[in-house]
Amino acid sequence: MLVYTVISGILFGLFCSLMGIGLNLIFGVMRFVNLAHGDFLMLGAFGAYFAYTLYGISPAISVVINMIVMIVIGALIYYAFVPRLLRSRDPEMLSLIFFFGISQVIEALSVIFFTNNPRSIDWSALGTANYQLFGQSFQESWVVSALISVIAIVLVYFYLYHTKLGYATRAVMGSLDEAASSGINVHRVSAWAMGIGLALAAAAGALSPFFLGSITPNMGSDITTTSFSIIIIGSLGNPLGTVIGGLIYGLSSMFMQSYIPSWANLVPYLLLFLILLFKPSGLLGKVVRHA
Amino acid sequence: MSHNPLLVLEKIVKQFGQFRALDGVSLSLSPGEILGLVGPNGSGKTTCINVIAGLYRPEEGSVFFNGNKITKYSLTKMAHMGINRTFQVPKPFKSLTVRENLIIADQYAKRPHQPLEELLDFVGLTAYASREAGSLNSSQQKLLDLARALATGPSLLLIDELAAGLNPSELDKMAEKIKHLAESGIAILLVEHLLGFINSLTKRVIVMNAGKEIFEGDLESAAKNPEVNAVYLGG
Repeated sequence: MLVYTVISGILFGLFCSLMGIGLNLIFGVMRFVNLAHGDFLMLGAFGAYFAYTLYGISPAISVVINMIVMIVIGALIYYAFVPRLLRSRDPEMLSLIFFFGISQVIEALSVIFFTNNPRSIDWSALGTANYQLFGQSFQESWVVSALISVIAIVLVYFYLYHTKLGYATRAVMGSLDEAASSGINVHRVSAWAMGIGLALAAAAGALSPFFLGSITPNMGSDITTTSFSIIIIGSLGNPLGTVIGGLIYGLSSMFMQSYIPSWANLVPYLLLFLILLFKPSGLLGKVVRHA
Repeated sequence: MSHNPLLVLEKIVKQFGQFRALDGVSLSLSPGEILGLVGPNGSGKTTCINVIAGLYRPEEGSVFFNGNKITKYSLTKMAHMGINRTFQVPKPFKSLTVRENLIIADQYAKRPHQPLEELLDFVGLTAYASREAGSLNSSQQKLLDLARALATGPSLLLIDELAAGLNPSELDKMAEKIKHLAESGIAILLVEHLLGFINSLTKRVIVMNAGKEIFEGDLESAAKNPEVNAVYLGG
């Protein structure tokens, strides 16, 4: 039971890391909390659902399709709205209202088009094999989803630490004005970050039916809350800290589900409470940029 | 030194709500010239730099650079055109090394500039090149900020209180560096509270108060000016 709980916690935690990393990237670059994060993840989940049920496209392929589509949507949202938000007197407060509005619109439209009926993707969509890990048996869908999550996180690391765009992204995270004074086109870099942030949410969305069970248009707000807990545990504004946050959340969640299942839903709030009480800057927290 | 002005400000007005931070400021600066901007706290010196650098957009007036009106250009565009600035409170990219901070400016620069290793040497940070910028003390961060600005190849450099926190020996070295930059043809607008430091660099100083220019000339003459005395001494 213990070994199974630990391994399933790590697999789930890797998925949770992917679930939160986009939210943290957007926060790190723009200092905006994307309250619609869970709703973009939900759209990714429905995208994968329809791709699989209508066209037989594997959710693994949908991860890639979702990411490409969301990069474009993210950049469009950025250029259409964010520069205006930044020119306001209180861009952070206005951004909260803006993203809350986006969340409500996405949810309302999704209810109209997808209905409130819960949907799920056959667990065999990512393979039917069972993998033995340390003597414990796990569905292929979990193992493949965790593996895809790891690949996505490694790509985020590569982007941030080994590309010119990534260096510029980290510079914007450090200081908007100094980045602009260094000749960086801050809007272009931020638009990429917005697109990549939403793309990562949608990628997690394609995998979410395997970890979260059924999907509904209303799932977004709970996911935003959970993702927010994960990024606060790791450290706000530090995308790779999200990996630590995700693993801690995944392990805690699995331990609760295994040993005190009726309390499992409290995990994100409990962790949020504990981290704010004992290490408000997050486990990897350093001083971050103030807007 | 060329006498065709590189930078011209015409009657710049910058307001924050009802407060006029700049109230009709005009000035000009030629290539290779050092212009000192002094005045008490809140007189509008840093706001002036922020307007020239593109951080703030003025409500009235115009900024010309090389004869072109650039009043509404962004910080990024200014950097690409050859206008750069240091910050009163520098915020280097702390998670990056000192060298990486300069590499970024170098990668996005659109103008020729000194090699990065020479710039590191120029500001005395060669030994710290591989350290995280966040580990530098505040004076070193200001020097890094200067090197970052120089890595974009500016022809106009706006320096905001670079000397604060330096000891007398460091001040002398810094003055030499700034003179060297001016001799290379860079026009320098220097905001500073240390009047002796400014005096060692230039005889052309503008004294500001409440967003207005109240005196232009050398510091010795400024000291004899009743309005300047009233501002500094409350007389």
